[in-house]
Amino acid sequence: MLDSFEILTTSGVVLWSKSYTSISPSIVNSLITNVFIEERTLPGAGIADDISAANNPPYKHDLHTLKWTTVKELGLIFVAVYRSLLHLSWIDKLVDNIRTIFVDLYGDQLKKPHTTLVECHFDEYFDQQIRELEKTSLNQDPRSTESAAPDEVAPPLTPKVFADEPPPLPGLLSRGQSNNNYRDSASNGSTPVGTPDASRPTTPAGHLLTGKAKPGGSRRSRKAANTPTVYASSGDESSSKKRPMKNEPKKGRKWTAEGMADEDDDTVLDYSLPANGATSGEDEAKDRLGAAEIDQATWGSKTGKGQFVLKDLDDQVNSILTSADAKKVDSAATSTGLFGSGMSAIGGLFRNVVGGKTLTKEDLDKAMKGMEDHLLKKNVAREAAIRLCEGVERELIGVKTGNFESVQAKIQVAMESSLRKILTPTSSLDLLREIDAISSPSPLSLQKKRPYVISIVGVNGVGKSTNLSKIGFFLLQNKYKVLVVACDTFRSGAVEQLAVHVRNLKELTAREGGQVELYQKGYGKDAANVAKDAVTFAAQEEFDVVLIDTAGRRHNDQRLMSSLEKFAKFAQPDKILMVGEALVGTDSVAQARNFNTAFGTDRSLDGFIISKCDTVGDMVGTLVSMVHATNVPVLFVGVGQHYSDLRNLSVKWAVEKLLSSN
Amino acid sequence: MASTSDWAQALLSPSPLGLVIAILLAISIPLFLHSVVFRASGLTTLPSILLIGPSDSGKTSLLTLFERGTNASTHTSQAPISVECSLPVSNTAGSDKYRSAHDPTNQAHKKFLLIDTPGHGKLRHHALDNLTNPQNLKGLIFIVDAATLSAGDEGLRQTADYLHDTLLILQKRMAGNKALKALKDLPVLIAANKMDLFTALPAALVKSTLESEITKVRVSRSKGLLDSGIGMDEGADDEKDDWLGEVGSQDFKFYQMEEFDVTVEVIGGNVTGGEGPTVEKWWSWISERL
Ligand SMILES: Nc1nc2c(ncn2[C@@H]2O[C@H](COP(=O)(O)OP(=O)(O)OP(=O)(O)O)[C@@H](O)[C@H]2O)c(=O)[nH]1
Ligand SMILES: [Mg+2]
Repeated sequence: MLDSFEILTTSGVVLWSKSYTSISPSIVNSLITNVFIEERTLPGAGIADDISAANNPPYKHDLHTLKWTTVKELGLIFVAVYRSLLHLSWIDKLVDNIRTIFVDLYGDQLKKPHTTLVECHFDEYFDQQIRELEKTSLNQDPRSTESAAPDEVAPPLTPKVFADEPPPLPGLLSRGQSNNNYRDSASNGSTPVGTPDASRPTTPAGHLLTGKAKPGGSRRSRKAANTPTVYASSGDESSSKKRPMKNEPKKGRKWTAEGMADEDDDTVLDYSLPANGATSGEDEAKDRLGAAEIDQATWGSKTGKGQFVLKDLDDQVNSILTSADAKKVDSAATSTGLFGSGMSAIGGLFRNVVGGKTLTKEDLDKAMKGMEDHLLKKNVAREAAIRLCEGVERELIGVKTGNFESVQAKIQVAMESSLRKILTPTSSLDLLREIDAISSPSPLSLQKKRPYVISIVGVNGVGKSTNLSKIGFFLLQNKYKVLVVACDTFRSGAVEQLAVHVRNLKELTAREGGQVELYQKGYGKDAANVAKDAVTFAAQEEFDVVLIDTAGRRHNDQRLMSSLEKFAKFAQPDKILMVGEALVGTDSVAQARNFNTAFGTDRSLDGFIISKCDTVGDMVGTLVSMVHATNVPVLFVGVGQHYSDLRNLSVKWAVEKLLSSN
Repeated sequence: MASTSDWAQALLSPSPLGLVIAILLAISIPLFLHSVVFRASGLTTLPSILLIGPSDSGKTSLLTLFERGTNASTHTSQAPISVECSLPVSNTAGSDKYRSAHDPTNQAHKKFLLIDTPGHGKLRHHALDNLTNPQNLKGLIFIVDAATLSAGDEGLRQTADYLHDTLLILQKRMAGNKALKALKDLPVLIAANKMDLFTALPAALVKSTLESEITKVRVSRSKGLLDSGIGMDEGADDEKDDWLGEVGSQDFKFYQMEEFDVTVEVIGGNVTGGEGPTVEKWWSWISERL
């Protein structure tokens, strides 16, 4: 069964929720941060106006699986949480149907400004959907269908029919067909085992089977025209043995004269009341309605005597679902009409200038193509560019443009905020303070002093040693005692090159009292062991920071990459930084990804250093490609040949460069 | 044929209908344009209070509590929201202090807008935009989770960082745009939330811990590397005044902000908890600012 179902807004307020077991709020929070904010598990969803839950990849967290869908323009998120062990075939349907119903009922309230309050009495609708969907899923179970199959139909045929057809959901079939089909299936199966309402005297199936004529006012005429007695009886007969208990208590229920006094309405009332609520009559029903105060006309109507009759809940839900469906079909149909499309094209042109146009995929497609080309020109890897554009497109479909705002301007703004979001780190990247916290912890925090370990990785020739020296220079200027470790025991000359850097650093900072040493064990040794020894040595000698240089390696070199995992385990670096070249193009995504996963399951990169940014001008796309592929932030950018040419990344600067048009 | 010429004649002859339509058009077009152009700049004169703070500190919880009077469950926010709240009857707004108790304007609850912002690192620009472009802003509530502020805690570093950046924006507001300059003095309330938890620091300790952590932040900021933007484009704005508080001071103290017309107060409380919320002091802080 479900653990919980929540309807919340993007501003973080839960509008309605139902939980069957208590689950920690952190489960939904992690969905929000990882999927919506940080976009870690990228929605591989199609770009549709409203994406069905089936298209959104399920999110797994801590033994739970979350299924979700959103309504963009209202800022709503619908989440269903259940144990990952369970397989709930109807879960997508549930999430989708609940979304449709909720938006239909409370959409108006949600548009009100300056409030988070939504009057909703949604429990009944939700329970109704759960019941309905569990029932259909039971129906699909071959065994139950067989036993309940009508006699007229040859038994071997039935399972096939059910297997071929989509689940016979009332709301999703077209009207004429749906009623028959629905009745049929409802009467067939419906052993209420395991449904939450098993104890209730009536089930929707039972109600339908009675097939009594309703007072005309309380039902739609289409229902009346479609009295289901025929289907009901055939199904009833075949399966009556299975559930004699079910119909009996229902028939026994009568309302007193005080109440409705209308036998036909007992089932109707039953739906509006909670399972144990069969104690009072009209008054309570009225009360509940009064509390809801939602356009009574859609809820029910007065009978001849002026009594208020609740409209059948099933009816209401079905009509909501069918009309939503019909709308979808409608909009598809109208857009193909020649005249209609001509008019809307003119209107569209007009609104493109004046603004106030609701964006559709067609409007966006061409402009998005332009944006994609622009990004590619800025050296953003194709994969990242495409996904960025998809994200922006998804964000914009269905959005109205502002006054005198063109589609292009809208895209520009959306892309800017999207880039900014990607490049902005989740937490602040104050390296010095992090080092302080480790190498000279506050006496109150009971932590032992130890050196802060930074290791640098990357492919060959991107400037690992140079950037390591730049970081060393920066740290030395801030009076840290630095140990540089040569773990490139592979390429000849690497140790000597590092020795030169260290000598330079010594000279440059000696006057200001910088302390820097080189730790090296020559060539051929295992890098992981050297690193481990170096860290131990640094702890003994009370160094503040250990900078470890590693051998450059191709990101697709399996053997060398796999040694990184051992390295991370032995050296236990506080920060693993990868150096990437601003010049690299499409390859950047694969590089970043492979290095990010090379350190085993519980360790990943902590940051990028993008080198040689001064050589590419505006084409700083590599920044975006790498961050986009891994969600690892850019810590530094290298902007020149000198030791002092290291900078923090300014997001504003990067975004401006990326969007500048020349 | 006859009908076509009829039509042509009808179109060209000075008919009263054509006149009416022309007049209607002439009147309605300016009206239409006016409504289109000025709709956005409607009069939003309700005083507003901004909620700001790191993620999970209880901003949205406080917002819903102030709006409804009861707790509601919340999750991580992705978008800002503003909500119309009214002062509880027991609190009189500061601007109404000298009114007689029987003054009818006193009967109506003083209304204000409470603006909640997401605290996630990637979404702080919402809050900062609100600060740099304030609409009748009367005060700022910076909510911290007092249970995550013990020394060496990651929460302390994140909180201090955010608070440092926020205060720095306020300090630099004189150099900023006009709307921000118009804010003569801006009171800041540091609401130490979650006092119901036994790990929570008392308000006085919250204050001193934050002060000493901000001292570290501003030192390390001043020593940090330059931003990549600086020196690359000429329009780099002034980098001189990035030191928060009194120049040359050893330790940062919140009172140093008074030089910049920013008064900082730290008050404890809790939004949820076994014995119900404790927010009266926050209410009275708000009521004094309205
Ligand atoms: N124990 C305790 N928990 C609280 C208190 N106030 C809020 N919380 C809990 O803290 C959690 C986070 O609260 P939110 O209001 O959603 O946090 P937020 O500041 O809006 O966070 P973001 O939206 O991510 O910026 C919720 O689970 C609250 O129940 C309190 O006073 N005491
Ligand atoms: Mg929030």
